[in-house]
Amino acid sequence: MKSFHQIGWLVRKDIALFFRTKDTLVLIFVFSVLVVLIFSLAFGPIFPQDVEDRGKLAASVLWAAFAFAGIILLNRSFDVERASGALQGVRLTGVDPSNLYLSKVVSNLFLLAVLEAVITPVALQFLEALDTLTLGTLMKLIGVLTIGTLGFCAVGVTISGISTSTHGAESLLSVILLPLIFPVIMAGAKCTVSLLTTGGLEGHFWISTLVIYGAVFLASSYLLIEFVIEE
Amino acid sequence: MLLQATKITKRFGHRTILDDVDIEVQPGEVVSILGPNGAGKTTLIRILSTLLKPASGNLQIAGANALDNPFGVRQMLGVVVHEPLAYLELTPYENLRFFGKLYAVDSLEGRITALLDEVGLTRFAHERMEIFSRGMIQRFMIAKALIHDPTLLFLDEPFSGLDVAAKQFVLDRIHHERARGKGIVLTTHETQLGYLAGTRFLFLLDARLKSIARKDEIALDELSLQYDMSLKQHQMK
Repeated sequence: MKSFHQIGWLVRKDIALFFRTKDTLVLIFVFSVLVVLIFSLAFGPIFPQDVEDRGKLAASVLWAAFAFAGIILLNRSFDVERASGALQGVRLTGVDPSNLYLSKVVSNLFLLAVLEAVITPVALQFLEALDTLTLGTLMKLIGVLTIGTLGFCAVGVTISGISTSTHGAESLLSVILLPLIFPVIMAGAKCTVSLLTTGGLEGHFWISTLVIYGAVFLASSYLLIEFVIEE
Repeated sequence: MLLQATKITKRFGHRTILDDVDIEVQPGEVVSILGPNGAGKTTLIRILSTLLKPASGNLQIAGANALDNPFGVRQMLGVVVHEPLAYLELTPYENLRFFGKLYAVDSLEGRITALLDEVGLTRFAHERMEIFSRGMIQRFMIAKALIHDPTLLFLDEPFSGLDVAAKQFVLDRIHHERARGKGIVLTTHETQLGYLAGTRFLFLLDARLKSIARKDEIALDELSLQYDMSLKQHQMK
């Protein structure tokens, strides 16, 4: 019960800080819209007639936008902890580092989900992939994006925690994070392509990869994060 | 015994910052550690407050092993260091409420109101801390350190950057907390303030902590003289 209480307040604080400063909010939305626009202009105005090609294009655009916006979000989310020693202040309250980790995963997942809820329809509309989407496919797409984003946050928060205590944290985060996050992005993109081209998930390999990779990282980080935050 | 640290050693690279440091703090005692800039005072405070691990040594807080289980003892500690240890984008009220909730403080609203009033920040309770002066932040940090009524306080250079009135406020607060039976460790490079605040005095020089005297055993002039002589010896090395 105490853990839920602590995680709740940590998440509430993260979200309050995010909407208080607004600079990250503006940055990730502008960045994501820009990615969609660039791809739309590069491939438009006449998009591939083949559903498969359009699905591949839309999936690439979505995951490129979310991956880069996610990296910015993770960086900023730990910047505020670093800036005035706030993370040490939180550590001094005796909060279990695992709860701190979970709170960061939840708050980043929530904020990226808000971004995805806005950007996904915009991107699909711009890339003329919205008309192929049924309600069933949409629900599956939401599921894939949620699992993918959870995996992204599970990996990203751990790596952000490691890079927080080092000089050049921002560049280090990108360098270490990208190889580790690659399986999530690849599996997420493959599942999205499958959904946008066939309306379903072909086989279970990519969705299983997405679920297992995220779950393994989430569980191992939950258990080991103490050594990352405390050292 | 509130705190007992023995043979604390800390190195950064090849440089030894603390070498076999021993320190004890009893309830109602203010241990004043005097040392010049770069002597290792902040490192010692960070180790004693469990924020930094020593290379070797033991640290007991209220009888518990604080190095093996830092989470178990942190609720007992109040810490004031150079950084605010809070979110400058939030207001003092929001910060105190957030940290108070994490500490699970009872009757939190009343406690926040009382503390903000005591430190003279009621008027600024709902202003973002980004616009605060050094003195205002120092006042906030004292409120934050006391929000959960800790039994042991660590104050790292609590007088730095403060005007005369604010220094007097910090001194009064130290005396008040000591009278309530709290143990306090404070570091300073200002002999007079260290003397006024402390009940026992130590010098931190050349990575070693040297016990000098209790307040009833030494006058301010003598303490200043001893400190100046120790500093000169340190500078000649």
